[in-house]
Amino acid sequence: MSTKYKKLLQKLIVYVLLTCVAAAFIYPVLYVICGSLKTNMEMLAGGSLLPKSWQIQNYAEVWEKANFAQYTFNSLYICFFSTLGAVILSALTAYCLERCNFPGRKIIEKVYLATMFIALGSVTLRPLYLLAVEVNLQNSLWPIILITIGAQGTNVFLITKFIRGLPRELDEAAIIDGCGPFKIFSRVLLPLLKPILAVVALFQFRLSWNDYITSSVFTMTRPDLRPLTVGVVQLKYGASAAMEWHLMMAGAAVSILPMLLVYFACNKYFISGITEGSVKG
Amino acid sequence: MKNQCEKGLISYKWRKGTLIIMKQKCAKLGRQISQNKTVYFMLLPGLFFLTIFAVYPITWILKNMFYQFTSYGDYNFIGLENFARLVTDPQFFNALKNTIVYAFFKLLITIPLAFLLAYFLNLKLRGRMIYRTVFFMPTIISVSVMSMVFYLIFNPYNGSVNGMLQALGIIKQPINWFNSKNAMITVLIVAIWGAIGNYMIYFLSGLQTIPQEVYESAEIDGATGWKKLRYVTIPMMAPITQMVIMLALIQAFKDYENILVLTAGGPNNKTEVLYLYIYRLMFPMGDSMGNVVLQYGYGATVAFATAVLVGVITMLYLRWTRKTDDTF
Repeated sequence: MSTKYKKLLQKLIVYVLLTCVAAAFIYPVLYVICGSLKTNMEMLAGGSLLPKSWQIQNYAEVWEKANFAQYTFNSLYICFFSTLGAVILSALTAYCLERCNFPGRKIIEKVYLATMFIALGSVTLRPLYLLAVEVNLQNSLWPIILITIGAQGTNVFLITKFIRGLPRELDEAAIIDGCGPFKIFSRVLLPLLKPILAVVALFQFRLSWNDYITSSVFTMTRPDLRPLTVGVVQLKYGASAAMEWHLMMAGAAVSILPMLLVYFACNKYFISGITEGSVKG
Repeated sequence: MKNQCEKGLISYKWRKGTLIIMKQKCAKLGRQISQNKTVYFMLLPGLFFLTIFAVYPITWILKNMFYQFTSYGDYNFIGLENFARLVTDPQFFNALKNTIVYAFFKLLITIPLAFLLAYFLNLKLRGRMIYRTVFFMPTIISVSVMSMVFYLIFNPYNGSVNGMLQALGIIKQPINWFNSKNAMITVLIVAIWGAIGNYMIYFLSGLQTIPQEVYESAEIDGATGWKKLRYVTIPMMAPITQMVIMLALIQAFKDYENILVLTAGGPNNKTEVLYLYIYRLMFPMGDSMGNVVLQYGYGATVAFATAVLVGVITMLYLRWTRKTDDTF
């Protein structure tokens, strides 16, 4: 009896600990969502987390006055093309590197590996910005899309690993049936790659939706090209919005809610992607 | 004499032989290349992106480390002057110090906490999926947006952290979370909030690979809860922990987006890390008059030094852990 009692107590302690940590984790998000429904006065006064009356018009205000309709469109545009591009690019490259035996394969693989381990950070944006100016792309969303796609090293290796697990007999059967490399890829392997491509798409969606540095650098002179992340953070610096906390919260909510919805809908894919990528090294 | 002739003949034959082999090799290579035309065509987009977005910036840095940009748009070769400036630059060493402090404390708190949470979640409690979803959530949301939100939460006058602490009676005066004493702590709290979930998932997947039989045999030997953790779980997790520490270390060196939004390196450069310093060199804000001093060359030098530093630290860590592997 006493051991059972002890076990129950242990369980209770673990639950209390987990719940405390979970509360700390979820608090900032609740703060955003509740704050976006408060008046500015209520927001600044602090006090209870829940709003006294629901100020839905904060969203309308941020949507129209702060130009968030445009920012949302930009974010969606960047995300869509970035995700599409990343999936096609990494799947194609991974297939070639894993299943085709062509001269130069080893070198290309090594270059991919080498570039993945060099951490340069923001410095790469300066040459790319100069390049974008040279090809006259700096006044569009395309530099952001292309840079967020990038070299795709991690995703290429993620898909390569997945393809390695598929039987080679599939390819051979297709060759006997007269398929070239592209047909093997598009007709035979691509349908089988769906689960891993979903993971790549989710990761790329997260990366491009949350990108801040690249977007802010490329939209410094063009406020109308800003995606949501840059638009929200700019509210912090905006002279007129210096104390409009409720609008900052509404803006933040607009930018994080879509991501949260995607996450709650497919969090299994996210987590499987993380663990699969980790076993690589 | 005869001997020499023979030698010459052999070497001639040998040379002819290699020539033929090389010719054959070339022909084979050509054949292979022409056979794989479609493959090369399919690789083209990948190679394009690899060249433009990975190789080109690296070569740009390697070249421009030796140049100085002027405000008129041209640039001059100045040899090693940028490096001479680097070794005497107090801002660089300040940023280096801050980076090390930031990385050290971030890892010191994140790794044990992530391990503990993973351990609890692995106890097969009811509702653990909900907890897992919540703990992983911060890694999904935009770092910049959440940093802005934390900027408000930690606001000294209207922020809710001070409000809560005052309501609980822990503090009497509001704490200024962004003064030179506390700014690094605030930055670290936000960074840890965003990082734990990721590493927790690594640990959790590692814990799930430990076979149940190991625990059972430990139980037969009389190990109880704490002893099982100390003598079974932790040693079995050593390889995963090593990998997680390495990934976390590299990531901690690369963080700057959160600091850029939270404090922009201030106050008094107290929270300026290396990557933030590089960012400010490459994208200068200009002074009050709007004058901008272009320092791309020097920025490239700092970036090169930082990349080498991160590489060296990673390699040292790998070597060190391999040594500890041998001794235990």
